[in-house]
Amino acid sequence: MDVSTTVGRVGRPLLGVAVFVGALVIWELWARAEDSFLVPPMTEVLDRAWEVWPTADFLTEVAASLRRLAAGLVIGAAIGITIGLLMGASRSSRRGLEPLVELLRATPPIAIVPAFIVVLGFGDTMRIGVIAFGVCFPVLVHTFEGVRAVSPEVRDTASMLHVGGAERVFRIYLPAALPSIAAGLRVAISIGLVLVVLSEFVGEGGGLGHYILDQQGQFNVPEMYAGILFLGLVGYALNRGFVLVERRVLAWHYAAAGDPAR
Amino acid sequence: MERARNAVGRANLPGWLFVVLLAVVAELVIRQLDLEDSVARPSETVRTLTNELSSGALSSEIGATLERFAQGFAVAIVCGVVLGVLIGSSRTLGDASFVVIEFLRPIPAIVLIPVALLFLGLGTPTIRFVIAYAAVWPILINTLYGVRGADRMLHDVARTSGVGRTERLVRVTLPSALPSIATGIRVSAPIALLVGVTAEWVTFSGGIGSYMRQRQDAFELPEMYAAIVLTAVLGYGINLALRTAERRTVFWAGEERSSWT
Repeated sequence: MDVSTTVGRVGRPLLGVAVFVGALVIWELWARAEDSFLVPPMTEVLDRAWEVWPTADFLTEVAASLRRLAAGLVIGAAIGITIGLLMGASRSSRRGLEPLVELLRATPPIAIVPAFIVVLGFGDTMRIGVIAFGVCFPVLVHTFEGVRAVSPEVRDTASMLHVGGAERVFRIYLPAALPSIAAGLRVAISIGLVLVVLSEFVGEGGGLGHYILDQQGQFNVPEMYAGILFLGLVGYALNRGFVLVERRVLAWHYAAAGDPAR
Repeated sequence: MERARNAVGRANLPGWLFVVLLAVVAELVIRQLDLEDSVARPSETVRTLTNELSSGALSSEIGATLERFAQGFAVAIVCGVVLGVLIGSSRTLGDASFVVIEFLRPIPAIVLIPVALLFLGLGTPTIRFVIAYAAVWPILINTLYGVRGADRMLHDVARTSGVGRTERLVRVTLPSALPSIATGIRVSAPIALLVGVTAEWVTFSGGIGSYMRQRQDAFELPEMYAAIVLTAVLGYGINLALRTAERRTVFWAGEERSSWT
């Protein structure tokens, strides 16, 4: 490693942070000079956020969103992993299901929303259904890819030892696919967050998405930005939290792969 | 493996038979259990779909949706590739921009619909903006990594042979980044379509999204399902077109990449 990269390592975060802070300062100054209600000064947004975030009303909305997200993720992941394993393990089920999965996977989840609304109403069942629908495909695809990546040697050995059916799926395919499934779940979390917000744009029961759209409708611009900022923080926290859990749970995998930090 | 799977996808008779079988089962179940209040029959949906398409009611909405999609997506491709190349080829720019990028990138474009509404009002500009915003990040990031991952050796050889900066960019960096750029474009297309249709759906500003919303509010289920099927086909078609385009243009990189990720 030469000197310039060492300097770059140290300077890198600083320069990035400096530009970020610079952009915020420019926003602040410009917003104050312009005094447009569309662009409130950053300090005003943070001020309002500080007032709004700890209130019980706001936290109830957040809790509602997180509950829906959790339920949708669990259901979607369960379906995705099951079908992914099935398609990965059996050639005939792969051929049989592939066009259907491809077609559904290409369907933007918003297209499902009206159908779910008609059948399930405007409540949480509809929202959880939408989230589960959108989330299940990345998990499915990653599970499938994980199973497909099991080496022919391992497959042959399993056949030779007469490891069949369920045992092969649960003892060989599932563990082998876990790192890939984890990657799929990570994608699923960010998609799930989008779909929570989307599904909360309609119907009753509040939630963070409803809050943001509602504040916009009432032209409470700083509150709207405060809601968006909180959502960004939630997304960031979920992502970081997931990575931490993943490292722990899949420590055996990274140890075996000899790349603990990835 | 990819070629094999694509061949399978094109002529997978059992798979498509299964889809048809499901439709037939749904038809029978809906008819037998009298569920037409909540689900449209597949046959009814298909009939409505052809009617609406031939009468032009639906095709003009598709036109509107696709036009906005194309515009927003084009903006995203241009911005994403240009910014990605700039940031990827200059260390200083990369260092300077990464906090801002990491801050903006995770904000879901759907959340920006309310913000865009405030600035741009109801209508096409809002939808174009959210499509472009949603699509730009995967393209930018993939371009960035493609440019950074360009072969150092080729680069150095070109430099020592006296090839100028611009020519190096065009002849060395871009060709080696192209597969990665193509991936970014393909990955961002479904996101952009989702966000575009959602924005239409939320703002009632024409296109297939608001068509769907209106039919849902009017409880015209066959029309609503026709729009749903059409959106699915649209997504599938865009996906297929981009994948084919990718295979044709950056054919040299296709081998090791899976068609499913």
